[in-house]
Parts: sequence; C-alpha cells; structure tokens
Amino acid sequence: MGKRVSPQEVLEALRGVEDAAQRKDIVSLGYVKNVEVSSDHTVIVIELKTSGSPKANSQLAAAVRKAAEAIGAPKVEVEIATPSAAPPGSQSKLIPGVKATIAVASGKGGVGKSTVAANLAVALHRQGAKVGLMDTDVYGPSVPALMGGKQEPRIVEGKLEPPVEWGIKIISMGYFLPQDEAVIWRGPMLHKTVQQFLGDVNWGELDYLVMDLPPGTGDIQLSLSQTIPLTGAVIVSTPQDLALDVAWKAIAMFRKLNIPILGIVENMSYYVCPHCGVREDIFGHGGAKEAADRLEIPFLGEIPLDPKIRIQSDAGRPVALDLNSPLADAYLAVAKALAEQVSQAGEHVPQII
Amino acid sequence: MALAPRTIRLHGEGDDLVIEWVDGHRSAYSYQYLRDRCPCATCLDKEPEPPSEAGPLPMFGAGKLKPLKAEIVGRYALQIFWSDGHSAGIYTFDYLRDLCPCDDCEAAGENVM
Repeated sequence: MGKRVSPQEVLEALRGVEDAAQRKDIVSLGYVKNVEVSSDHTVIVIELKTSGSPKANSQLAAAVRKAAEAIGAPKVEVEIATPSAAPPGSQSKLIPGVKATIAVASGKGGVGKSTVAANLAVALHRQGAKVGLMDTDVYGPSVPALMGGKQEPRIVEGKLEPPVEWGIKIISMGYFLPQDEAVIWRGPMLHKTVQQFLGDVNWGELDYLVMDLPPGTGDIQLSLSQTIPLTGAVIVSTPQDLALDVAWKAIAMFRKLNIPILGIVENMSYYVCPHCGVREDIFGHGGAKEAADRLEIPFLGEIPLDPKIRIQSDAGRPVALDLNSPLADAYLAVAKALAEQVSQAGEHVPQII
Repeated sequence: MALAPRTIRLHGEGDDLVIEWVDGHRSAYSYQYLRDRCPCATCLDKEPEPPSEAGPLPMFGAGKLKPLKAEIVGRYALQIFWSDGHSAGIYTFDYLRDLCPCDDCEAAGENVM
C-alpha cells in the first residue's frame, strides 16, 4: 500500500481544473465544498453557483475525477451539487416560495418577446430549475398558444392552480377569455390583475418566475415593478436601430425603478436560407451586442430568425425543447448566461425597523 | 444602480425617520419635513398651508404627526402611511437622498446650484 493521498494534495490537484464558462480554476471559484480521503475511497463534493447543463456538469465531474486520480487518490467519487436556485434576491410576501423573478421586456412590440420568454422558461427548466411563466400581457396574451395544452387553471383551496405545460407552471389572461373576446381595461384593473397573478396563484416553490411583459413602459410594467422587488429584467430586441432606440427606453425605465438589467437578447439575429445555406442579416446584425457594450449591460446571446421557431410556436411546442437543435442550443446558452447574471444579482432589500 | 437604503428606522432618535444608506451615509429627517415634501400629485398641486397654530389645549390639535407604518415599493421607493391619514406619496430612494438635510448634503446641493 502506497503513501496515502491527503485532502490538501487533492485540493492542490483540483487547482488545475477550470470552469469553462468563468475561465478560472474551480478552487479559486470556491466550487470545491468538501474533499474526503479514506484508505480506499475519495469523495469530492463540488457545489456550482449556477445549474449548468447536464453535459457541462458531467464533463466537469470527469475532469475532477481525472485530476484526483492522476495524483493517486483511490476510487474517486465526484458529487456535483447544483443550486436548484438563484440566490434569495427576491423577497416578497406575495410569492414567498419564488427565488428569482425575471421580467422579459422590450421597447417595441413584435420583437418576439413572448417567444423568447417561453423558450427561456423551457431552457431554464431543462437545466434543472423549477420554473413558472407569467404572461402579463393582458391585452394580447400569447403564452397559452406558445406553450400548447388545453388545461385551464382550477381553484384549489382559494388559490388558482396554474396549468403545467412542459414542466412549467403557467398563468395568462388567455386562460380566462374566450378566443374572440378582448380585454378593454384602464390602468387600475391591470394593476389588480398583476397583483392577483402574483398573490392568488399557487406558484409554490420556484427557482425562476419568468414574466412576459407587454411592450412599452406603461401601467403593467409599473405595477409589476412596484408590487414585488424584481430580481431583474431581460431586454429583447431585434438588431435594427429602430428597435434598439426604443429598447433603450425600457432600459431607462428599469434603471429609474432600480431594477437590475440582467442583459439583452438579440432576437431575429440572422437568417440562414434553408435552400442554399447562405446567411442573411435581415435586420442587420450585432446591433444589440453593440448597444449592450455601449450601455455596459451584459449581452446574453442571439437567436436566429428561423421558420422552425414560428412553426413550433404556433404548434405549442417551444423549440427549446428540441434535442440536437442549434435553435434549442441558442436558447440553452442564453438561459445559462441569464442564470449566471441572476446568481450575481442577489441584491439586498432595505429593512424597515 | 442607484443608491439604496440599508435600513430605514421609522422612529429613530428624537422623532426622526433615519436612513442608513448602503454607502454608509446617514440621513435623519423630521416627520414634518418629509410630510411637507410629499411627492404625490395632490400635495404637489395644492398651495402650501400655513402651519396650524398650536393652541394651549393639545386635545384640540391634530395630534403629533408621525408615520404609522411604511412599505418598500418594488426596489426603488418608500411609501409612508402618515398619522394624518395620507399615504399617497411614493418617496423614491433618489428623492429621499436628495432631501437629506444633513450639513454635508445641504452644502453639496448649494454648490450644484
């Protein structure tokens, strides 16, 4: 029997393992929670700050095992713990079980905000988080169609039980209206609806509540920002100046309301011709990234313009569910970048004494 | 990100509302000072009232003004429920910081003007 490897030696060896996203070693990042070495057994516990993709996590586990085995640690077992969770950034009595609340907003309409919100919810869920999706676009609710399903909310013990589609709890004005009816309301009714969507829905324990906002900077946005301390906002924009100029107004609103901007997503970023494969930048390209750099806001990623997104959205099956699809991968990458931003946004709420 | 309070004490020393800010600054506001600067639309519109004359018999007066409670609005403002029944004002953190009556802030404010 050779010399026993000490936990310190294992820890030193782990300094050679890098987190791909952060480009830093996992020891400095504080990911290594525990190292136990017995005569025939080694247990290494890694605790990640964000829930990464299953593939990235198993790659990390393999790298850790390799590094430990290289210095002769016996029978290495690696446990990767992912926080099912963002930090306790949002602290609201209305939704006590919800850890992070994310508003998906834009300046202009028609930039694909609801599609991005629905797919982000799905992508976050695929990465292991418990997710809810709240459609606050009372006038033009599109989330029920995007997520498919024919379920309706039920009342259980005085609270609305949201339908669950693709693993995601959903609430939308669309569930309460016949197809051919319209909501014609003034501000106070909208305010009440936002409060009920938050307080009267049984959201339970959620890591993320994704909120699809209507376009603009009006009643709903203000009600939502006043009713709960939002964790942050994601801005969706198409690449052209016309849309970006108005997106800037949404950013200005959130800044005024002291809500962190978690990042910008460039939607309809480019189009790849399905016949010849040539890439066409229909609305220009990279405008959102440039704007993000200029405004010192994180850039979360780009989603191409692809008829498949529209077809699957109309069919009620978000593309982010697909396996081996570049479109789903684009959404998963944005969700991962978003989760990282949320984990850093944990901000404190003032205490009243 | 705008400056936010760390703690808000409704009944600080000497009937003041005291805010400790995240940057370490401390602001103490008298209740009447804050009430007079209520930013709601009604208060902004109306003529400033002359201070009511305190009679010798306190039971006929309006009673001493104080905050009954306060709530954080979203993550950017404070709503104060005053003992005179008024609560419409939403005091943003930026506004409260601008109102800080301490000597340093007053001096800084005058320099800007």
